[in-house]
Amino acid sequence: MPSAIDSTQARPARAAAPPRPAGRRRTTEQIEGRSGYALIAPTTILLALFYLYPLVQTVGYSFTNWNPATGQTGAFVGGANFAGLFQNAEFLKTAGNTGIYVVVVVPVTMAIGLFFAALLAQPFRGRGLYRALLFVPYIAPIVGSSLIFSFILSPLGGIVNGTLGALGFAPIGFLNSTPWALISVIVFSIWQGVGYQMIIFSAALSNIPQSYHEAATLDGAGPIRRFFSISLPLVVPTLGFLAITGIIGALQVFTQVYILTGGGPLRSTETILYFIYQQGFVYFHGGTASAAAVLLLALGIIVSVVQLRILGRRDTIELT
Amino acid sequence: MTELSVPGTTRATAPAAPHAVARRKRPLGTRLRRLSPAALRHVILIVAVIVFFGPFVWMVLTSFKSSAEALSFPPTFLPKVWHFDNYSQIFTVAPFGTYYLNSTIVAVATTAGQIVTSLAAGFAFSRLRFRGSTIIFVVLLAALLVPFEVVFTPLISLLSQLGWLNSYQGLIVPNVPSILGVFLFKQFFESFPTEIEDASRVDGAGVWRRMWSVVTPMATPMIGAFAVLSFVYNWNNFFFQFLAVTKTEFFTVSVGLTQLQSTNAADSFNLLMAGSTLAILPVFLVYIVFQKQIISAMSGGLR
Repeated sequence: MPSAIDSTQARPARAAAPPRPAGRRRTTEQIEGRSGYALIAPTTILLALFYLYPLVQTVGYSFTNWNPATGQTGAFVGGANFAGLFQNAEFLKTAGNTGIYVVVVVPVTMAIGLFFAALLAQPFRGRGLYRALLFVPYIAPIVGSSLIFSFILSPLGGIVNGTLGALGFAPIGFLNSTPWALISVIVFSIWQGVGYQMIIFSAALSNIPQSYHEAATLDGAGPIRRFFSISLPLVVPTLGFLAITGIIGALQVFTQVYILTGGGPLRSTETILYFIYQQGFVYFHGGTASAAAVLLLALGIIVSVVQLRILGRRDTIELT
Repeated sequence: MTELSVPGTTRATAPAAPHAVARRKRPLGTRLRRLSPAALRHVILIVAVIVFFGPFVWMVLTSFKSSAEALSFPPTFLPKVWHFDNYSQIFTVAPFGTYYLNSTIVAVATTAGQIVTSLAAGFAFSRLRFRGSTIIFVVLLAALLVPFEVVFTPLISLLSQLGWLNSYQGLIVPNVPSILGVFLFKQFFESFPTEIEDASRVDGAGVWRRMWSVVTPMATPMIGAFAVLSFVYNWNNFFFQFLAVTKTEFFTVSVGLTQLQSTNAADSFNLLMAGSTLAILPVFLVYIVFQKQIISAMSGGLR
């Protein structure tokens, strides 16, 4: 504010500025500060108690032979739990399963989701209905839809085996033979996750200015060319975001495995989380369970950090 | 749809036309081109809907069949006899009413808790200046990296020490803090101007008054969207409930269904499908009514 021109405004401000507003601001800040702490207290305290404290405990317990059943802390065993994990055939098996699962489910789900989003990008009759129906698997309770799949894939009365039988094929034990059990769990997870990816991609595609497409059309680009030359490059940040959340989600798969296959046959569908659950709640090997949890956490953090580095932090935080 | 029939008629009625001969060199390309992109899109999407939504139709149809018909080969599409009594039977083979009540209590209470705490914290982080707010917010965001699934062993043992296993507070309280909620509300409050608040501050309104009477009414759409999302999430949240509850009287629908599956084995798919229908129904109804809010809340962060 140029004080030389508007001296009437400048004068009272300068006269009053040093002592009063400073004092008043401090009281406002004090009041606001106290209210601020009060308003964030519920979230912060609950989070500290039910997330951060167990997290610290997990890290701590991973160096002990803690037994959750006894409620005692357990003795310090150093890195033995971690060393043990890498010699534990069962853990290596579940880690391998989880790896296969992540490598297949994440890209395929994203590809199908993006494909649907692109198909539904332009307005046409029935678009809303298609989108609504394709999204339903994502919001349905996973227990319910896993049960539907266990019925559809069942050798008894299941419609998939029924159809195969009608075509002259022998029934397949989709849920109790290898490698079909893992394939079934993977197909289920893709089916379940596509709706979410579609919605996020739709939002990203709708942010692309229409003029880009119009210009390309004038230059003679067809819809497929426009998709690969305009839409795809412009949704790369979304692609990155969905890859990270997809990987982190896929690392924690449990429910569909528990219901569809129970981890079998021969541990062929057990995932890391399934291993942690069994170690912690069936065998009461709290230390081993915590060590595996720490590894899973470290993996998730590495993936997130890579994402932050590559894509900048905005996209990560906005939707997680 | 009319375009679908065009290639056939062209070939049948005017095979000798010169352009038809030229087209015959690339029959697949021709056919695809004649099947206009719009029609092709409908064909693909209808197949997709059968794959993605069909299982739910199958679930509902099966839930009305007899046990024998559900397992019969070849499978029937519509039930021969509609067994509405499957739905009453499921309440007698298991205390499904209790499960339902528990799920409702847990989902509604958790949602309410998430809204209140997230709105308050989101308001504080976006509108109030206080020492350490940035650091606390960053710590909260960092906690996003810690999925519940990683810390559940000590968490469940903590709940056990508190005596909260098999209790409503055990099912509800740990799920109340919502970082996503805090973040969404903070974003939302930052998106509108401070003038109205400043005016009410000059009029002498305190922090509570400004939050409750000025900002909250403006946040109604955000509250609605978050409430719907939160309800669906909490109704569906199986893994935590599965670990926090061992007594039938505290089972939620999801936990109860897994119990039903393991005890009744393979011969009662009709009942299992009736149970699944009941489990999915509330979420489905909420989705039909609030579809716009759900989708905008989920994709809103990217806009």
